[in-house]
Amino acid sequence: MNSRERVLKLFAGEEVDRPPCFSGMGNVTTEGLKSLNQKFAATHLDAKMMAAAAASTYKLFGFECAVAPFDLCIEAEAMGCEINVYAHSEDLLYPTIKKKLIHNEAEMEIQIPSDLTKRGRVPLMAEVIGLIKRDIGKEAAVGSYVLGPFTLAGQVMELNDLLKLSFKKPDKIGKLLDLLSDVIIQVAGEYQKAGVDYITVREMGATSDVLSPRVFKSLILPYLKKIFEKITVPNVLHICGKTNDIVPFMMESGTKAISVDQKNDVAETRKKVGPKTLVFGNYDPYNVLVAGTPDLIRTTIKKCMDDGVSAVWPGCDIWPTVPADNFKAMMDEVRNYRR
Amino acid sequence: MATEEKKKELLEKLRNAVIQYDEDTAKEAANEALSTGMEANDAIFNGLVSGMVEVGRMFEAQEYFVPELLMCADALYAGLDILKPHVKQLDLGVKGSVVIGTVEGDVHDIGKNIVKMMFDVAGFTVYDLGRDVPLDKFVAEQLRTDSDLVCLSAMMTTTMTGMKKVIDDLRTKNPNVKIMIGGAPVSQDVADKYGADGYAKDATNALKDAINMVASLKKMKDEVEAKKAK
Repeated sequence: MNSRERVLKLFAGEEVDRPPCFSGMGNVTTEGLKSLNQKFAATHLDAKMMAAAAASTYKLFGFECAVAPFDLCIEAEAMGCEINVYAHSEDLLYPTIKKKLIHNEAEMEIQIPSDLTKRGRVPLMAEVIGLIKRDIGKEAAVGSYVLGPFTLAGQVMELNDLLKLSFKKPDKIGKLLDLLSDVIIQVAGEYQKAGVDYITVREMGATSDVLSPRVFKSLILPYLKKIFEKITVPNVLHICGKTNDIVPFMMESGTKAISVDQKNDVAETRKKVGPKTLVFGNYDPYNVLVAGTPDLIRTTIKKCMDDGVSAVWPGCDIWPTVPADNFKAMMDEVRNYRR
Repeated sequence: MATEEKKKELLEKLRNAVIQYDEDTAKEAANEALSTGMEANDAIFNGLVSGMVEVGRMFEAQEYFVPELLMCADALYAGLDILKPHVKQLDLGVKGSVVIGTVEGDVHDIGKNIVKMMFDVAGFTVYDLGRDVPLDKFVAEQLRTDSDLVCLSAMMTTTMTGMKKVIDDLRTKNPNVKIMIGGAPVSQDVADKYGADGYAKDATNALKDAINMVASLKKMKDEVEAKKAK
């Protein structure tokens, strides 16, 4: 069973020999960039470089997937936001939104550009997915991600306004989330056409650290349902931070799998959702994988599996500076694990 | 002069206006407090801040979430803007001046703004650099303003590592400056490793830490006043 088969079987609900060790979020490493002689800032705008960087984690460490893009700006950029890739920087800075689309409540009546999927880096992403598929697509699962509607709203408008209006004027925010769901469905559709094996919807703005479970259910869940109805490839809903209280709502979204981070008590979640539900998680990709010792990594990864994750999967993007020995320790622990 | 009873009623009104995120009532109560001759400091600390302390508790208990917190902050500012010009400058024994900002690559500033609010309340001069701030700007601003506290915020792991550079640079140029770091990915461990003097883990902790800071300032204020009274 190769990595791609293992991941696809897992999504299909079939028997797998062991939990796969993969991710639906960014996992490019500085080791990988070094092996390609590439700078992080340059990878965001060049299809060949992005594809090569995305595939490098599989090639170097046997991580069982390749995921692109590496930043969270694709949809917002296609909608007309300006982004900053920090081209000058030698550091590992992820692109951010420089100029929002909506600056105040009065500007909330926006339209989806008719040529949305031709704008920004959406065509580049389709090209990247094609390149990765041709490179390692038979051996490793190829994934991509879109933002959830609330998280995307936080990219196109001021987060401060978004949060307050969610409380004061939920109807207005609901209307925006509905429109952004259509944006997300269109972008995810392009990724599907390009041949991705699975898509992760990252709705980290809606964590219970920020929003009450009640608001999550009434304001955000309906639009997540709308999105998952339209994604035809295997899919994952990722929410970070405190999520134990919203796990049932996450399941209600219609997603195939839920992804949670280190703040989730997975043993409790497993009890709640039963043995069949796909739960991915939940190691800390910085404090454990990057800053921890191989010993800490082994015990953490073992605990994830003991708690009952269906796949060993990070709580967020893997921070690139993960030492090679740490990555190997994780992969070994998963491969040698016996329940 | 206001009677004790009237004073109590107004403090309660200020406090509740913050808790119930009612900007209009906060303004109204602040104006009433001034017209009845109440000390602005008293109205701020025992009214507005007392309300914010309760909001912090409710946030921790998950009765309130970030949207409510932001609206409560708006109500606090509505009252503070009216009261602040009437605050008598007190000799607190500390020079209250702080440089604050979110590091380059990070555009999340809600946590930073909550901490900033508490410094505003405490009467600090706040030099707010905003968000996505190039690292060397923190150092330049600290030197320009001679502030004794620098607060760095990062919401994401992906930007947290930039804070170490700022801390190292600040230490080289000005060994006496106090540095506080905060944000979701920051831990005591990270603060120790990076050489920061203090840290605030998330919005709750930032609020708590900032409130503790305000509380210790209050204590100092009381001591100063007690000395004066002697």
